[in-house]
Amino acid sequence: MHLLMMSMYAAMAAVVLAAVDPKADTTRQRFIHGLKVFGSFLGIGLLLSWLLFPIPW
Amino acid sequence: MQPRDAVGDNIAARFTDRAIPFDEPRPYPFTRRAAAVIAAWLVPGAGHLVLGKTGRALLFFVTIVGAFALGLFLNGHLYWPTVADPPSMFHFDLITVLWFFAQIGSGLCYIGSYVLGLGTAPIPQAAASPTFEYGNTFMFLSGLLNYLVIHDAFDISAGRKR
Repeated sequence: MHLLMMSMYAAMAAVVLAAVDPKADTTRQRFIHGLKVFGSFLGIGLLLSWLLFPIPW
Repeated sequence: MQPRDAVGDNIAARFTDRAIPFDEPRPYPFTRRAAAVIAAWLVPGAGHLVLGKTGRALLFFVTIVGAFALGLFLNGHLYWPTVADPPSMFHFDLITVLWFFAQIGSGLCYIGSYVLGLGTAPIPQAAASPTFEYGNTFMFLSGLLNYLVIHDAFDISAGRKR
């Protein structure tokens, strides 16, 4: 459930952040930027959860 | 073919030295710019529709309204600034001000939900749902993303980007 919610959050944020990217001129560039944002959200989320998991509080 | 002369060269020089090249975006008139920004806040994506960016408008509408609707479906709560208890120097409970700021960014989604009584259940009752925090997070996301979209609509209308 949490992974699904995180993926949906990342997808929605990635779509908007890619579409408003001022550096991207073409749809292909926006698509690649969106994929990077989506991957970053998921990757950093998983990394943080892995790092925080052993902390007991 | 006509021979080149001083007038022709002068015109050619003007075209190569234009301050605004033909392919550069140009600012829209003030009224359309203002209409785009207000529409963008009220209805996510409507600002881009005013500026003729139909595809992006549809994408923003589906994504942002979808995030807000998902938040409501997951039992998210509509926040309003509440007076701090015990009293503090800010008068209002600061976290509720920030949450309200995040959610009100979605414009009519927030106002319409409030009028329809969606997401207005008392917090202890709403928080009993296991998806309460997920719902709040998606509603914050919706409003904050719409602030970005409003800014994007303003940039396009001001001729700063396409």
